[in-house]
Amino acid sequence: MSFLGFGNSQPQLTSEQKISAAETELDLVTDMFNKLVDNCYKKCINTQYTEGELNKNESACLDRCVAKYFETNVKVGENMQQLGQTFTNAGKF
Amino acid sequence: MDALNAKEQQDFQKLVEQKQMKDFMRLYSSLVERCFTDCVNDFTSSKLTNKEQTCILKCSEKFLKHSERVGQRFQEQNAAMSQGLNR
Repeated sequence: MSFLGFGNSQPQLTSEQKISAAETELDLVTDMFNKLVDNCYKKCINTQYTEGELNKNESACLDRCVAKYFETNVKVGENMQQLGQTFTNAGKF
Repeated sequence: MDALNAKEQQDFQKLVEQKQMKDFMRLYSSLVERCFTDCVNDFTSSKLTNKEQTCILKCSEKFLKHSERVGQRFQEQNAAMSQGLNR
């Protein structure tokens, strides 16, 4: 399992280090999932609660919301990488 | 990542179980808060009215179905993303 490039770990890690790395990765994924649940609920769910089922609109909204959250994640990652590169290059002068 | 050996996997599994328990408690308390905020607004009585109870029922059902659906899409997106990384 690899997420955001974690996992290119050096050889010869102790058991503790390996487990702690796996824990960090799990926490990251859990955190993202919880944020996704909260945010897409806010944006998609009608809180009048006229029915317990998800209706068509809510379902479609949720599917798109999750996809867009991931896309945003990737875009922010790219932007940050670019910013980081700009900084590193500026440091060379 | 270096694969975890059997012993490490066992230790990690324990950690995961602890986290799942914690996560379940967190889910429970956040659902109480959510449905209370959205459904309970009348304090002329100390008992939940029928209307409030119906609302809470629907609120809980809606949230669980919501997180189930988001979970499915999350897994799909995650799988698609890690496939992209391995290419």
